[in-house]
Amino acid sequence: MSGRLTKDELLAPLARLRGDAVVVTSMGVVRPWARFSTSPLDFASADSAMGHTADFALGLALARPERRVVCLNGDGSTLMSLGTLVTIAEAGAANLVLFVVVNGTYELTGNQAIPGASRVDFAGLARAAGIPRVRSFRSRRAYERALPALLEGDGPVAVVVHVVPGSEPPLERAAPGEPPYLSVSLAESTRRLRAALEGAG
Amino acid sequence: MRPRDPPRASVLLDAIEAELTPTHAVGLPDNASAALFALLERHPRVRLVPVTREGEAFAVAAGLWAGGKTPLVIVQNTGLLESGDALRGTAVRMGVPLVVVVTYRGHARAAERTPVAPGGPLTSEVLVDPRLDSVALLTEPTLEAWGIPRFSYGSDADVAQLGAAVRRAREEARPVALLLTRALA
Repeated sequence: MSGRLTKDELLAPLARLRGDAVVVTSMGVVRPWARFSTSPLDFASADSAMGHTADFALGLALARPERRVVCLNGDGSTLMSLGTLVTIAEAGAANLVLFVVVNGTYELTGNQAIPGASRVDFAGLARAAGIPRVRSFRSRRAYERALPALLEGDGPVAVVVHVVPGSEPPLERAAPGEPPYLSVSLAESTRRLRAALEGAG
Repeated sequence: MRPRDPPRASVLLDAIEAELTPTHAVGLPDNASAALFALLERHPRVRLVPVTREGEAFAVAAGLWAGGKTPLVIVQNTGLLESGDALRGTAVRMGVPLVVVVTYRGHARAAERTPVAPGGPLTSEVLVDPRLDSVALLTEPTLEAWGIPRFSYGSDADVAQLGAAVRRAREEARPVALLLTRALA
């Protein structure tokens, strides 16, 4: 079986290198990301609409072309709106870095296999959609070597990372024990991100 | 200007610019909105963002708003129905003040056939009647169920409806629908 990264191996280097980028998380990486970052430029696409996190990140990227926007999307979420890959390519958001975190399952609902698990080539889909820079990783070392360059230069960029499935339970905003960026409503999180971006110029 | 003349895209766009001052227009064209899209494609101040499916439009618009911009969404009512969870989970749930221009496919035929006009009883006979476009019958009940305020725009004389829609969206921090009951010229 081909190699896979752990979620920490995916997220720790990104947290070190993200700089002043906005980071939009979804599904199985929402809580793990909060162990690495508490930036006001982090946004959890939770209690929202599954499948549309990358669309939201595209809107952010178009609104803030001077700032990099990193979107950590799932493979199941990507399958829910494959047309978004075309929309991203067409919009030409040069500052958008779209991660497709491939674990092959719907982790938050009990790790049921996604359709096409182990068959779907997400990097191939991204290339075919017209995204100009696409890389796929199964090894930590190759990922860590390539990541700095992937976070620089013109995109949009698609970064497909194969990870070991975790066991995250469903996300719940405003519930005890959830990380700070899940402690308020989605509307309040959105207002805070807008304010943080306005304050940051 | 006569009430039966078709609404002009240029008049609507002028009103949109005056009342909303959008930075981006996100959506998919249809026959009724084609004239508006033609103007937006070459607009100097509004960037057109085409999407492949209408649900994307609401999430892209929400991201634009979170980024400090002022988006406008333009979709057909068929695409609006497809977009249910995207609209709920992004623009509504995120509290985005958003004007959604919705072209109202099938409105004219449905409106002529009372009592099955929009808002009438949705019997199985009505829903399969080939003389009616069922999307027209379902548009307003769906918006009502989703909690989306709606405004009607059928001629240039309705331009005040656009202003009312913008104010409602901003005052209540929510998406509102501007229903285009006739194709734009």
